[in-house]
Amino acid sequence: MQGLPALQEILNLALRIITSRTFLEIVFFPGFLNVMLSAAFLVWLERKVIARIQLRIGPLYAGLSGILQPIADGVKLMFKEMILPELADAKLLMLCALGLMMLAFAPAAAIPFGEGLVIANMDVGLVYVFAVMSLFPSVILLIGWGSNSKYSFLGGLRSLFQQVAYEIPMWLSVLGIVMLTGTLNLTKIVEAQQRLWFVVPQVLGFAVFFTVALAELERTPFDLPEAETELVMGWMTELSGVPFMLGFLAMYTKLYVMSALITTLFLGGWSGPGFLPQPVWVVLKTFIVASVVFVIRGTFPRVRVDILLRTGWTRLLVLAFANIFVTVALMSIGLGSVWRI
Amino acid sequence: MPDIAFLALSGLVIVSAIFALEAKELIYGAVGLAFSLIGVAGLFILLGAEYLAMFQISVYVGAVVVLILFTIMLVRRESGRIVEEEEPGRLGRAGILVAGLIALAVSGAIVLLVPISPEAPEFYGVPLPELGRDLASSYAVPLVILGLVIGATVVGGLTLAKVEREKKPNGTTQ
Repeated sequence: MQGLPALQEILNLALRIITSRTFLEIVFFPGFLNVMLSAAFLVWLERKVIARIQLRIGPLYAGLSGILQPIADGVKLMFKEMILPELADAKLLMLCALGLMMLAFAPAAAIPFGEGLVIANMDVGLVYVFAVMSLFPSVILLIGWGSNSKYSFLGGLRSLFQQVAYEIPMWLSVLGIVMLTGTLNLTKIVEAQQRLWFVVPQVLGFAVFFTVALAELERTPFDLPEAETELVMGWMTELSGVPFMLGFLAMYTKLYVMSALITTLFLGGWSGPGFLPQPVWVVLKTFIVASVVFVIRGTFPRVRVDILLRTGWTRLLVLAFANIFVTVALMSIGLGSVWRI
Repeated sequence: MPDIAFLALSGLVIVSAIFALEAKELIYGAVGLAFSLIGVAGLFILLGAEYLAMFQISVYVGAVVVLILFTIMLVRRESGRIVEEEEPGRLGRAGILVAGLIALAVSGAIVLLVPISPEAPEFYGVPLPELGRDLASSYAVPLVILGLVIGATVVGGLTLAKVEREKKPNGTTQ
């Protein structure tokens, strides 16, 4: 008899948690389901866009115009046998594949998808996103090392090199926005753009950030870690079955989150004409940014390692600094008040 | 609720620090260190210093641990070799004993003299804009000196790392 009220209380608490706004946000809209489905949609979109560029049709049979193809692929990978090299570190690989997925999801918590529609409205949101992004290279390096294969290890090393080298221009390129708005809170950064998007006054910063995002995502023209002709599949070479699915999906999740971050920082976030609800604008802009990334993949060749590093240190860094000077000039002639909130 | 989070984070920090020290494989040690540092960042968040916590993650876990991993991988080519454990000698045992006694004395003194869970102060942490203003005004000179020190360190590191390259007769470097 004593146990029943306690049980009732626990059930009530569970019900309250499940129906709470934060929980629903984490599980459904700005959170898990949204990111997962959008990442799957991006896989399909990439295949369709590149097929169109190469005069092919792309996925066709699963669902309407092949839109269910990524889900079919996921189910297929789940039932595949996991093959690992004999001397590979299976525990470390599984841990890192899971960790990669978690890291890819984590930044979505700080990105606003509408007025007040954000999982964690942090005052340090921008730094949080970058801090989480800075953990990727170590996990990827561990996957490359744990696979015990030369292809994987070289891919992991290349990924580390380019992500660590491009982190500095990434931090510097958004400094102008922080100076103009005086905040690191992503919601407030979007609110500051209601009059004019930051892509206009921060066009240099936008160019630098977009280039850096391509490198951080290991996308063409910076897809050296995954150079198919040299390294088979880069650090993912020895992954198979579920770990491969996790790694693959993590990269598309990261693409979605990074595109959403570009939308938030430079393209006005949820702001747009009122005939569509705010979250739709965010997702729409995010997909447009991602499509640009796909078109670049379909049309550009891959750069060499030395060009990649030289571009990072002598071009992007200088442009990022130039952007800061432009911002200072804008503020000193009194235009800063347009975006000050 | 903060107590549970504090206990969990402290447990994470201590257990992963011990794991980092005791791991046979250096790579696992680096992973343990990364978890320990993430736990420290969590403690910072509990104390209301989110900004510091984010930089703890981004600098210590994102950069320092990567550096350690990188060094281990470049230095130790063969994987799976287990470091041989040496029995601590007589002096070593005495050292462990002394260290243990000192740790016991210090923690005992802390427990006796300082209340275990002090009342949370009304306001902790400085708001970020204020911190930035202070750094750029009152602490401008130390900041510049710090920047100079870091710059000198980078230049020194580059000088040490620079490899003298033999010049070929036709003037190209190898």
